[in-house]
Amino acid sequence: MRSQGFEDARLSVVKAREFPLSGQDLLDLMQAVLARGVPFRFCARGWSMTPFIHDGDVITVSPLHGALPGVGEVVAFARPGTGNPVVHRVIARCGTGSLIQGDSMEEYTDGIIPAENLLGRVTRVERRGHDIWLGLGPERYVIAWLSRAGLLRPLSRVLPSWLKKWLQR
Amino acid sequence: MTIQLDVVYAPSDDVVAREIEGEIIIIPLVAGIGDMEDELYTLNESGKAIWKRLDGRATVAGIVADLAEEYDAPPAEIEVDVRGLVEELVKRRILVEVSRV
Repeated sequence: MRSQGFEDARLSVVKAREFPLSGQDLLDLMQAVLARGVPFRFCARGWSMTPFIHDGDVITVSPLHGALPGVGEVVAFARPGTGNPVVHRVIARCGTGSLIQGDSMEEYTDGIIPAENLLGRVTRVERRGHDIWLGLGPERYVIAWLSRAGLLRPLSRVLPSWLKKWLQR
Repeated sequence: MTIQLDVVYAPSDDVVAREIEGEIIIIPLVAGIGDMEDELYTLNESGKAIWKRLDGRATVAGIVADLAEEYDAPPAEIEVDVRGLVEELVKRRILVEVSRV
């Protein structure tokens, strides 16, 4: 007979999708993994990075290793005030701060994010098992400029295919 | 594999563990990545009580004694659980041996 209060100690293997993490819990895990110097791979939620990242895409965030992200790079950061982790694009640099905005957003809702809030850069996006083009080559400057100018959202349907054709030239 | 009572264990550098909403979640850093889309590990309440004591300082014997006192349970009974869980954690490379006292 078992002692009351102490059941059989068990380790269970679970699918990560059984733990849909968000907010502070997700931030905590992401920070802990990135602090070990290794990438963190997780399922993204939301549509603020449409057309490049969709709800349910699997994102890999890699450590910054002390280097600030460049204009056009997609970064994960802790939103000031709430501390929630967010994945958006750097559209301008302001000293050590980064002006960040979601690709489908029309306003600078994130504002200038200080370097200490930056968690890592997005290096890979997967959708249904396939890698998705994220526009992180030279075209990222064009994407950042369009975002700053408020043109990214109106062009979102055609932009990825235009940019791909442009790059293939 | 036999787990000796005089050994001190600690979580491996190849895992990240966090308590989230009362549950211990252990993420193995497989192939140099912390993958929330792969398999994770969780522990039940008793497993959690053991895990929290696997801190790189306490021996297996010390953990057994501590738990026996806390749960007012026979040490032999607790020892079976502690040995069993530690063995599984070591096999899965979640725990590593730190020292032998």
